[in-house]
Amino acid sequence: MARFHLSRSTAPYLLLLPGLAWLLVFYVYPAIQMFLVSLWTGNIQDGYELTFNWPIYPDALGEYWPWIVRSVEYGGLATILAFLLGYPLAYTIAFRGGVYKNVLLFLVIAPFFTSFLLRTISWKIILADSGIVLGPLKTAGLLPDDFRVLATPAAVVAGITYNFLPFMTLPLYVALEKVDRRLIEAAEDLYAGPWRPGGTIAGAAIGGVVFALVALTLGASPIEPAVAGAVVGGLIGTFLISQAFLRVTLPLSLPGIFAGSLLTFIPAVGDFVNAELLGDPGSAMIGNVIQARFLKITDYPTASALSFILMAAILVGVLVYARLIGTEELTGGAV
Amino acid sequence: MSEDKRTVFERSIDRRRFLQGSALAGFSAFLAACGAKGAASNSPAAASAAPVASASASAAASPSASAVAPSGPIGGELNFANWPGYIDVSDDGDSHPTLDAFTKAWDVKVNYQESIDDNEKFFTSDLQGPLSQNLPTAWDIIVVTDWMVARLARLGWLEKIDTSTTPNFPANLQPQYQGRTFDPDTNLAAPWQSGMTGLGFDQKKTGKLDSLDAFWDAKYKGKLTYLTEMRDTVGLAAIKLGFDPAKITKDQFDQSLAEIDKAIKGKLVRQLTGNSYVDIMASGDAIVAMAWSGDVLGLLVPDQKKDQDFQFAVAKEGGMLWTDNMCLPKGVKNKKQAEAWINFYYDPKNAAPVEAYVNYVCPVKGAAEELKAKDPDIANNPLIFPPEDVVARLHQFRALDATEEKDWSEAFSKVLGL
Repeated sequence: MARFHLSRSTAPYLLLLPGLAWLLVFYVYPAIQMFLVSLWTGNIQDGYELTFNWPIYPDALGEYWPWIVRSVEYGGLATILAFLLGYPLAYTIAFRGGVYKNVLLFLVIAPFFTSFLLRTISWKIILADSGIVLGPLKTAGLLPDDFRVLATPAAVVAGITYNFLPFMTLPLYVALEKVDRRLIEAAEDLYAGPWRPGGTIAGAAIGGVVFALVALTLGASPIEPAVAGAVVGGLIGTFLISQAFLRVTLPLSLPGIFAGSLLTFIPAVGDFVNAELLGDPGSAMIGNVIQARFLKITDYPTASALSFILMAAILVGVLVYARLIGTEELTGGAV
Repeated sequence: MSEDKRTVFERSIDRRRFLQGSALAGFSAFLAACGAKGAASNSPAAASAAPVASASASAAASPSASAVAPSGPIGGELNFANWPGYIDVSDDGDSHPTLDAFTKAWDVKVNYQESIDDNEKFFTSDLQGPLSQNLPTAWDIIVVTDWMVARLARLGWLEKIDTSTTPNFPANLQPQYQGRTFDPDTNLAAPWQSGMTGLGFDQKKTGKLDSLDAFWDAKYKGKLTYLTEMRDTVGLAAIKLGFDPAKITKDQFDQSLAEIDKAIKGKLVRQLTGNSYVDIMASGDAIVAMAWSGDVLGLLVPDQKKDQDFQFAVAKEGGMLWTDNMCLPKGVKNKKQAEAWINFYYDPKNAAPVEAYVNYVCPVKGAAEELKAKDPDIANNPLIFPPEDVVARLHQFRALDATEEKDWSEAFSKVLGL
């Protein structure tokens, strides 16, 4: 008996050991190292010295605040867009996928079989100024000749959205797949019909705000997009959103929304490939700054400090977010 | 994952990105293993460069050198780090004939790795760690760009090449490379290849261009790219303003930077790129670019469409010249073998086949004559063997001290929006 007791209490620790060891070597140690580097002063010529140069943090924050804000904006916007694209996608696969469910899921993951870099570069070919998409539109006179998608903030946000869409879709799918269909039937039996006029108002409000945000982040006038968004959102809210969805499916899919948005947002904020390939000089993100600081300017302390600030900012953001939609929902909903 | 991404990414923006995709197959490590086969069947030029020929050429080239050069097989190994696509590859893509010939002649096993795709990255990943601790690196020969040589020399991280054992070097080094500011005695850096930075343009869309004013011409708004290499972009701006990049002062640097800032703020510049301007030009999204000579020749021209005509020109105001150099990192383990290789490469008979493959500017005297006999097209190409009047217009960027290097690249980054 005693032996069983022992193994039952030690087993979890033994199981944790490989993961913990991995994290210790490849995460904790480099993180501490990076933190110490951020407090160095000096240069590569005369060498560096650990001087506990704390002011580097406010300095770096002050100097690069606009880039941090821009990264959070781009990352946040990409997350919202990925959600708006991913949710209907995941919903359709989970509820209407039928025998094609596995094929559809495979298609969602299929882009991962190509390298991240190649996928982004292929956008440059598809969206070239007179390429396969814009060329015909320009010939038809629908777009001005000097119009372009590439080398703009819009291309960066779109690229991030595209690259991280599967990270959003898969957790959403898992959550939606688990929703007990009998609960929806029960809701319908209990007179859960179309959600009007609430759906119309909520849809219009959400649509308007999202479209206005997109326009603002990309530096365009928010008025017309807001109106267009309100119309689209209103229509969706009126005809597609039912009371059963609002009261059963959506709350039960919250764990998926939580996981998906974090999995999308965190790498999106730190991404530098999309900004480098699809952006212009005005759309550099904090990841590009850190790369330039580290490699080009050999300013290791500032690069490390910025990495730490980014990490801390994301951590705080995630904690606040977890308090809002809550880890309780996460565990409660999954059971 | 992010490390992975960066590696692939950096590789794609390196300027020496491969001339032909197929040649990437030449990534094989231990060439000595397939040495005999490669040398015998694939490159008559390299194979004929037997040690005897090499030794006699040396003697002719520098009769004064008290030839302490090793005269026979010395054995051992040579760890050689270079950029992708920077050496000749046999037809079957499995070996590098010139290296095979060297192995055959000197019995030195060459471990040739294409592990450099970015000066700064290589510095951070392979050099800084060991050298800052006074330890030897994994390499006997590294190939880095001028300014990186300057940085390494400043740090005292380079081993002197014992030129008494290399009768071909610097005897066969073109005069413009002798006694450069960062290497006054010409014994720290042996040029491997050079390239020019100038006007790359699609002549069908722009007509003939020969002035740096094109880079500030509103006509090309949104169809223009600059380079992320500070010394190229700032160098060209400085030349446009009438300054000499070789003697650039802080004040002139600031003025040049303001000129670049004007173009970026005015949305003239579509993007600042490494090697990726090649793709942007190929798709027609850019029609004028700050370009590297070998790229236009090796990458753009072969694949151009019917309505495209890619040209490279050194502007009438001038252009930039940069060089990648073979260096021996401090504490080098196989110094004798490294020096034997440098001597071997500086025999025009051996440099010629490398040149025929890589299409950049050859620093070795006599290589043009050597090639003329075998491949007149290459030997007469002004981009590979630039004529006197072009050479006279080429500038090199001044070597910067540590503080300047940091402050200037920081200022340049700011203008780039970073």
